Amino acid sequence: FTASLLLGTTLTISSNHWIMAWAGLEINTLAILPMISKSHHPRAIEAATKYFLTQATASALLLFSSMINAWQTGQWDITQLTNPTSCLILTSAIAMKLGLVPFHFWFPEVLQGTPLTTGLLLSTLMKFPPITLLYMTSPSLNPTVLTSMAILSTALGGWMGLNQTQIRKILAFSSISHLGWMTIIISYNPKLTLLNFYLYALMTTATFLTLHSTKASKLSTLMTTWTKAPTLNAALLLTLLSLAGLPPLTGFLPKWLIIQELTKQDMA
Amino acid sequence: MAVAVVLLSGAPFHGGCCRHKVFLSLLGPLLSNSKLYSSYRRPGAEPKKKLSWQNADFSFKKSIDHLKTQLSLLTKETQDYLQGPGGHPLSQHVLEQTRVLWQFRSQEDLNKWVISSDVEIGGKSKVYIKLGRNNQAALLYGTLNTEVPRDGETKYSGYCSMRSRPAVGSFNRKKYYDWSNFNSLYLRVRGDGRPWMVNIYTDPYFSHQKDDLYSYFMFTRGGPYWEEIKIPFSKFFFSSRGRVQDNQHPVWLDKASFLTLGLTIGDKVDGPFQLEIDFIGLLNDRAHREEFAYETYDKN
Repeated sequence: FTASLLLGTTLTISSNHWIMAWAGLEINTLAILPMISKSHHPRAIEAATKYFLTQATASALLLFSSMINAWQTGQWDITQLTNPTSCLILTSAIAMKLGLVPFHFWFPEVLQGTPLTTGLLLSTLMKFPPITLLYMTSPSLNPTVLTSMAILSTALGGWMGLNQTQIRKILAFSSISHLGWMTIIISYNPKLTLLNFYLYALMTTATFLTLHSTKASKLSTLMTTWTKAPTLNAALLLTLLSLAGLPPLTGFLPKWLIIQELTKQDMA
Repeated sequence: MAVAVVLLSGAPFHGGCCRHKVFLSLLGPLLSNSKLYSSYRRPGAEPKKKLSWQNADFSFKKSIDHLKTQLSLLTKETQDYLQGPGGHPLSQHVLEQTRVLWQFRSQEDLNKWVISSDVEIGGKSKVYIKLGRNNQAALLYGTLNTEVPRDGETKYSGYCSMRSRPAVGSFNRKKYYDWSNFNSLYLRVRGDGRPWMVNIYTDPYFSHQKDDLYSYFMFTRGGPYWEEIKIPFSKFFFSSRGRVQDNQHPVWLDKASFLTLGLTIGDKVDGPFQLEIDFIGLLNDRAHREEFAYETYDKN
């Protein structure tokens, strides 16, 4: 299944035809489903079902948008997306794939129902192909829609993560928030989106793997990990602060550059 | 409709009255008020006189009062959200080891529970609930009758149960609780020696899992003394539609959404029963280290 995930991701990021990109996304979706539902627990099955339904809808919308564009312009090139309707549909499809507000409702529930390692894949590897598609189509996307979705994602991701007691849900909301930051800058400087994504993937991987090794899935368990692995706990503290975006740590860099770029664009 | 048109057009030789009769006979089932499915009603079920949409109350004043109640609930929920998870500060959530979920001190506490028995399938058991002496406990009592209803399809009968109503927030939204800090159910009861079954229904998102239930037994001692029964959640086994499943897994308590607890008696013994319940709560028993009591169905 991991090989299928890598195949799907590679297929999408290296394609310049919409059908190949869509095929890669579908391979990714289908490959991760058995990994989500591996434990056969009803909650895991529920997570897998929710993931499948949203991702299938998003893939269908993506294909629909590419078909409209192909019908209007006669070509299937990803970078040549010119029809406004298909741009709008693509934006909503990618938002659904990524988990941007208002298409974010599936993400915390799906992440809660999965084991931590699969959750890591869901947060990092599964986000890579849609971000790549956004990067490739960034000149044609509607900045207003993207900006409004990004601001809502950043705000809601932060507020809804406040009273959570399950760590996987907190990390899901953190992912939604970071995706907001990535999306807001894509129309102006797509390279910053990629930088943000790579750093986010690095920090999230560190967080997930630490939590996996300490088997902490809720806050009360996390409170007692300092007795079992004090150094790892300290490292987790720094990683979480970096995820939050505190200045001396790496996580601050993308936020700073994004705000700087937005200021240049008269938006901040 | 198309069939009616074809039949009518294909019968030009008949007189006008015959066409009228054919038309009415074809549309008869649609014109009458009967249901399209079978009208068989189980013996214990009440006859449905009103359709569900006819029960709607369109009073303006009541709707305004209802809206005010819901808005006040929403305000309270927002204030609780600002305080912390579950309306309590985070320190309380992290440090608490016991929590009382339901205690029976007033009629309002009793209204949070629903009693039912095999009368709904045509049986003859009786169950009642009332407040005990000095309003200190709930008394669930009645008579169990295992006589099978004569409807040709029921094989077993004789059960009585008490289930909690699921908690709803403002605008009838589901309330989510996090019980993952606890590992045991704690009940203070005084029974009559009969065994009870404790059922947990975690309302699943999809309807395919709506028959899933987690159950375990509660053996009461009888006698004049109250007993505190601790039932670890690791002991609850998984069943679906009343059949214990091969594929067992522990009950997940992190999203106790719409979770209902039920107490059922169905020990196939005719006669009266009685159970007094002081309170039902949760406990984090640090001495209980078991994760799950049954073998999980792990392949390879």
